Amino acid sequence: MMNGPAGVTDALRGTIVGQEGVIEGLLLGLLCAGHVLLEGPPGLAKTLACRALASALHGEFKRIQFTPDLLPSDIVGTRIFDQHESAFATVRGPIFANVVLADEINRAPAKVQSALLEAMQERQVTIGPQTHVLPDPFVVMATMNPLDSEGTYALPIAQMDRFLLKIDVGYPTREQELAIMERFAIGEGPSTEPVATLDEVRSWRAQARAVHVDDELKKYIVDLVLVTREARSTAIDHGASPRATLAIANLARAKALLEGRDYAVPDDVRNVAPLALRHRIGFNFRVSAEGGPQSVLDKLIASIPVP
Amino acid sequence: MARHARIRALTLLVVTAAGLSARAPAQSLQRLTVTQLTLTADTTTPRMEVPFHLIVTAHVREHISELDNVDLPILAELELLGDEHTLSTTATGTTYRETITVVAHHTGRIAIAPVTLDAVDARDGKAKRYFSNRLTLQVSGLGLAAPSTWNAWDAFGTFLRVLVTVALAIVGFVGIGVLLAVFFRRRPAPEPVMTLPTPVPVTIDRGSLLVEAMAALRTEPTRAGAMRARSIVRRMVGATEAETLADVLRRPAASDHAVRNLLRALERAGFTHEADLRAAIAAATADLERMTR
Repeated sequence: MMNGPAGVTDALRGTIVGQEGVIEGLLLGLLCAGHVLLEGPPGLAKTLACRALASALHGEFKRIQFTPDLLPSDIVGTRIFDQHESAFATVRGPIFANVVLADEINRAPAKVQSALLEAMQERQVTIGPQTHVLPDPFVVMATMNPLDSEGTYALPIAQMDRFLLKIDVGYPTREQELAIMERFAIGEGPSTEPVATLDEVRSWRAQARAVHVDDELKKYIVDLVLVTREARSTAIDHGASPRATLAIANLARAKALLEGRDYAVPDDVRNVAPLALRHRIGFNFRVSAEGGPQSVLDKLIASIPVP
Repeated sequence: MARHARIRALTLLVVTAAGLSARAPAQSLQRLTVTQLTLTADTTTPRMEVPFHLIVTAHVREHISELDNVDLPILAELELLGDEHTLSTTATGTTYRETITVVAHHTGRIAIAPVTLDAVDARDGKAKRYFSNRLTLQVSGLGLAAPSTWNAWDAFGTFLRVLVTVALAIVGFVGIGVLLAVFFRRRPAPEPVMTLPTPVPVTIDRGSLLVEAMAALRTEPTRAGAMRARSIVRRMVGATEAETLADVLRRPAASDHAVRNLLRALERAGFTHEADLRAAIAAATADLERMTR
């Protein structure tokens, strides 16, 4: 099964039509041991992509549909009294999985979001008196639908910051739409076969961490983050946190690994910077007048000289 | 005399108020295309006890014999001395002009509300109320109470007006003269047309730049030397400092296979880890040698 990360990419491509950005983003998140936020209208294969990734990894997949009446115990688990044993027993929640899909995360109230995000950060949960370590690898992939605002609880920037990257899922092209029709015309469509073990994933992560990032590139990354904090655009209320710096560096390493290199180049940094920055910047109402968040971000990134 | 004047002022007030309160229904309104409705005065700074005129002017496109439903504002602070109106018809329509002679008995500021005209708009058939402009008057105390002083003041004012008019006329004539002199002055003969040498296109000496890049790598086979060589080759293909390798490779100057390989090799030499640096520099140097051979 030593196909490398490229094998997982190919497996996902066999299931999902187009959405190269989503596939690459999920792989980057997996390699960096980070969590992924996917935002896009319904029906764009967000859930399918996450499910396919779990299937490709021999890993355990759990899906949590976030609703307004969801409780933290519905995610992390709870303790119930066992009458036969006359003792409390722990029932683990769906968070105990390798790939957890938090579908429509913004439909649950803040306390449920907090419970999930705390687990994401700590990689462990406490149920009653016991602390349970979450499986490794553990990746949360959360989806958000930007079209519906009624009955939703928007994620604050502080919580968005916990996600390593955010992927904006767009509509497929005409050709891709035709391919989708062909591929999913009958039944559920193709299933994803396992192509990598969890041990291999852990090995890839170690390789990604060892990817060399030159000092000039490190300065470039810092410049990219600092420019979001300077008042270069009136559409930005506050810039990205230092977590963004770490995220860009890690994502650039993972991107280099996906490209088959053991060193990162400026292209890697520039390609992953929007993924790490777009959800960490506080845009205000003027952003629409300046062409939208992506346009503002692109201009800021383009303003920094490449090493 | 004073009693008579007060009665007239009161009459105007009552008539005006009656006109405002008893609005004619839309069916009885004239069907007009109103193009003008203004309220002016022959002076905005009348003197106390000196009669002056308020003039209401309305113009409609229709040919009419009478203009109904013109409501004058309440002139409570002025005494009405006379009121007459005329209608004149031309090819463009009818002009209504009402001249109201009034006198102020107190000094100070007087604000006169707009004149209104109710009519059915001939353009859309809807009953409308048209408003004129507002008028503000400043009544001064230099009235007829001191006729001799007023006459002297008036004569002085007339003298000043004549003086200013003459001065403006002189300035105007002088200005026109200067403009004519500038316009008709003899223009200098045009410069002889110089034939510039045909511009020589600036070409980037690719060979010398490649030699320069190779020299940078050979004299300093370190990361700094590799970055210098990378910078020279990027300059050779016209790359800007905002471009990454992917951007540079899209340039027409980088379409050559050898150039693309060289750019990739120098990118590796510039950013690879220490253990691979020597091999990366050797690979880039080999690419440069092949290209300069």
